[in-house]
Amino acid sequence: MKRFLEKLVEGALLLSGSITSITILLIVIFLFKEASGLFNSPVIEEGYVLGLNKANPVKDLNSYQIKQIFDGEITNWDEVGGKEEPIEVVRLSDLTKYYTEEELGASFENIPSKASELTSKHAGIILFLPKEYIAKNFNGTLLNHETLRPGDFFGGKEWYPTASPSAQYGLLPLLLGTIWVSLGAILLSLPFGIAVAVYLAEIASMRVRNFLKPLIELLAGIPSVVYGFFGLVVIVPFLQESFKLPVGETALAGSIVLAIMALPTIITVAEDAMRTVPRATKEASLALGATQWQTIYRVIIPYAKSGITSAAVLGIGRAIGETMAVLMVTGNAAVIPHTLLEPVRTIPATIAAELGEASAGSGHYQALFALGCILFLITMVISISIEFISKKKYN
Amino acid sequence: MLTIDAKNVDFYYSDFHALKNINLEVEQNKVVAFIGPSGCGKSTFLRILNRMNDLIPGTRLTGSVLVEGQDIYAPGIHVDELRKKVGMVFQKPNPFPKSIFENVAYGLRVNGVNDKTFIEERVVESIKAAALWDEVKDKLKKSAFALSGGQQQRLCIARALAISPKVLLMDEPASALDPISTAKIEELIYELKKDYTIVIVTHNMQQASRVSDKTAYFYLGELIEYDETTKIFTNPQHISTQNYITGRFG
Repeated sequence: MKRFLEKLVEGALLLSGSITSITILLIVIFLFKEASGLFNSPVIEEGYVLGLNKANPVKDLNSYQIKQIFDGEITNWDEVGGKEEPIEVVRLSDLTKYYTEEELGASFENIPSKASELTSKHAGIILFLPKEYIAKNFNGTLLNHETLRPGDFFGGKEWYPTASPSAQYGLLPLLLGTIWVSLGAILLSLPFGIAVAVYLAEIASMRVRNFLKPLIELLAGIPSVVYGFFGLVVIVPFLQESFKLPVGETALAGSIVLAIMALPTIITVAEDAMRTVPRATKEASLALGATQWQTIYRVIIPYAKSGITSAAVLGIGRAIGETMAVLMVTGNAAVIPHTLLEPVRTIPATIAAELGEASAGSGHYQALFALGCILFLITMVISISIEFISKKKYN
Repeated sequence: MLTIDAKNVDFYYSDFHALKNINLEVEQNKVVAFIGPSGCGKSTFLRILNRMNDLIPGTRLTGSVLVEGQDIYAPGIHVDELRKKVGMVFQKPNPFPKSIFENVAYGLRVNGVNDKTFIEERVVESIKAAALWDEVKDKLKKSAFALSGGQQQRLCIARALAISPKVLLMDEPASALDPISTAKIEELIYELKKDYTIVIVTHNMQQASRVSDKTAYFYLGELIEYDETTKIFTNPQHISTQNYITGRFG
């Protein structure tokens, strides 16, 4: 009976272990599956095509070039590898500039033939039309089967998913925003957190410690939206005032809020690590005439190094993945930041803010999942590399 | 001048009166053994001599303890200076998680020695003095944890010797070791006597009689008897001492 019970418990433990692993695996697979569709989605809006004059040597435009052409930032074909020829942008609505409504027909039945005619006449034209307005014998080149290239995503400098005709899914502004905010947060919270941990573990009296430790642990339980609100009401105006900024919602505000949020984790984990340093080791140092400070930085911190690194990893993990508080205080401008005092937008904030408005299966939706994958990869790389470093130092 | 001179020492752990009116003198270059049953206060007294008990909150001491004529509990005494003069070896080997070399160099480094060649010389000297050189000379860069327990304990002795203390306190230094390592430590104590004053706490009667010049017997916080080792072991004055050394209790 007893043996049977033990087997049962063992089985239950095995089951829960495998369920957890399978769940994690499934989440990762789901993430990457949804994201992989991104590079199969068309560069331009679904159901539309781009038409060029037959004589135009340009056969290939990437997403960013298309956007620049339609925004009027590129005005000549030689800028995208064509001949010296001004670009003439023609959207559906622009057709009325070339033809009267009678010519186009009462129910626009003549659009296909007119569009074809227009394209053949104008050497510098780029035509953007829904597929159904393209005649079978269209007299021009069509660029409709282009799909988004990895370069457009990984090297893209703009995130503008609602841009027409070519939505911009550039990773760089969001990635850099995330890195700036997280880096700032970790630079602020790590020294401070370790200092507090040292104080609590080695210097504070029992009474102070017993008061402070639960208080700090309590901080970890405050919902992030409350931190965001605090940041919005206190930190953002403070930064705006003290740096004389047009807006206070900056990367720095995000860093400060995140630093405050990451502190309890860093302090608790680092302090626990320092308290595991055997009393005998500490005494050995003191007995050799080392002062308390020398003992702390020569023995206790090196001894607790692996614990302190895991504190740092957990802190970074929290900073990189944190969504709500950052969304509230960073200003959410998806532009590549140059200083900490500019608005930025982080990857998690983008996912949270935009997933609701992206239709399932669209390029936008897949791009958001791709962002999720990037986030996953970043945290994975960080934890693996830190584990590697701390292991290497230990041997 | 006496190396250690304790007068009317009373010691308390909060409310617990751990040592009662202890008077004890130790001359230079002698080995003194503290014996007595567990909880008798011998380790507490040992740790008074380098103020290691300061680390325990709620402890209190009255009376005076002089080391080389200086009251070590007087205000204005720097504890780290004192501990440089009074080295300590603990019950369990407690090397730092560093290399063998760095373990021995540690005491020098924390005391502000930066001269590389001096540190190297001193480390080698200390390891030789601790009778460990032949075993570790090829692996000074290796982690101290790679050594056996007995080697680790001798490393801890080398570490204590490196800063040239006047007094060496040993708190049951061989209790966690095998007989062969114990014999080596005892031999070492005999050698070290030439240069250092040694106070050793031990539970092992034979060890006390083998290594020490004088023996102090503690019981329930009191110093019952303190005399030449030969006298204590052959002709104790107190019945309690006799009972203890003959193994009737303790």
